[in-house]
Amino acid sequence: MKGFEFVSAKDARHAVALMAEYGPKAKILAGGTDLLVDLKSVPEAPPAVIDITRAADMKEIKVTDRGLVIGALATHGEIMSSPEIRDRYPALVDAAHSIGAIQTRSLGTLGGNLVTAVPSLDSGPALVALEARVTIAGAGGSREMPLIEFFVGPRRTALKAGELLVDVVIPKKNLGKPAGFQKFGLRKGQALALVNSAASFWLDPAKKVFVDPCIALGAVAPTVIRAPKAEAYLAGKKVTPEAMAEAGRIAAGEAKPISDFRASADYRRDLIAVLTKRSLEGALAVAERNQKESRK
Amino acid sequence: MTDVVLRVNGRERKASVPPETTLLQLLREHLGLTGSKLGCDVGDCGACTVIVDGKAVNSCLMLAGQVDGREVLTIEGLATRDRLHPIQRAFEERASLQCGFCGPGSIMSAKALLDENLDPTPQEIRDALAGNLCRCTGYTKMIEAIQDAARELRTEKSARTAP
Repeated sequence: MKGFEFVSAKDARHAVALMAEYGPKAKILAGGTDLLVDLKSVPEAPPAVIDITRAADMKEIKVTDRGLVIGALATHGEIMSSPEIRDRYPALVDAAHSIGAIQTRSLGTLGGNLVTAVPSLDSGPALVALEARVTIAGAGGSREMPLIEFFVGPRRTALKAGELLVDVVIPKKNLGKPAGFQKFGLRKGQALALVNSAASFWLDPAKKVFVDPCIALGAVAPTVIRAPKAEAYLAGKKVTPEAMAEAGRIAAGEAKPISDFRASADYRRDLIAVLTKRSLEGALAVAERNQKESRK
Repeated sequence: MTDVVLRVNGRERKASVPPETTLLQLLREHLGLTGSKLGCDVGDCGACTVIVDGKAVNSCLMLAGQVDGREVLTIEGLATRDRLHPIQRAFEERASLQCGFCGPGSIMSAKALLDENLDPTPQEIRDALAGNLCRCTGYTKMIEAIQDAARELRTEKSARTAP
């Protein structure tokens, strides 16, 4: 690696101040699992690496009046073991678990994964299916936006120079919303997704119909996308295996997958249909478990 | 230069290193601990695995400045003068390694697993080893060794806690 200055930020505010001081070429170090790989191959070193791993105010996972707040610095391992997430959001646990291997999950952070904005990122779809929002801090204050709008294109986000992703919030209306996540890669560990899919819906306890179904797909378009036609098909429909399979087929028609050395576009479309059906089944299992527990 | 003070294998160590030094370079080139191996240097192979504050990490993906004030355990911290660690002994008895290059990393991943879970399922062991590439063995004998070590560590623990 070429030489650079190493500075540590105490908290989010300090990090933003350091970013202003060192300018847009400075790099933020959160988990480092992507940054260090990049730094080892770039021809020119950045002027500074701003280490935010000690910014304790960006690490917490807690329920507040905003909803479930996940600090951008929460690692994938911390998300998997968080008492706020573990039992209520298996989709988020499965998404975190599908990333890299244990060593990368101990270091890699949710914020870091989202900021890479690679089309195949694993933490995006489940959060988009829960309509997560992100908080961005900058020198002029902070702003919020839906996560799906944060992804602007492959490896491009809505972050402007000097801005920092601070946290991800599952809004209050979706607290406890049943969700499922599915990833298909060529191996269980250390593999990029060929397709990943997430789905959430509320199960109407009396009529057994889909309420507010939400489907998100990854690795099949330049950014994480929703599948609005499949969602509209499901809304108000009776929850049956046939309806879930049909939603998967509709979702497959809404994506624009590419062919590359990992898989062909046709194969990816087949995967979307199957994985979307399975994500819906996963959400249904959570919904049924929740209803059984609330009857106790 | 970045100044760091950290605990490595229970001992306080100090170093003053260029800021771009990775934890792996700090261990190997500045502290003389060459047990952790440099394999891919991009976080894929796991040969550099060490334990930082209880968690298995790729030491090639951390900068030295990040471990200032933290606790690092490397393969050199497992055996005592008199005996191998139960995981090391089980790897030896089961002939779990062939060329051995992945050994320090695989054993540290096993150590991090057993520190949190003394009774892992075979699937949990596979998950713990998913970030350690071994091109010789096919992993079967490592998994058996980790089961043996877990058994021994459980026996040791119940002997310690018996009235």
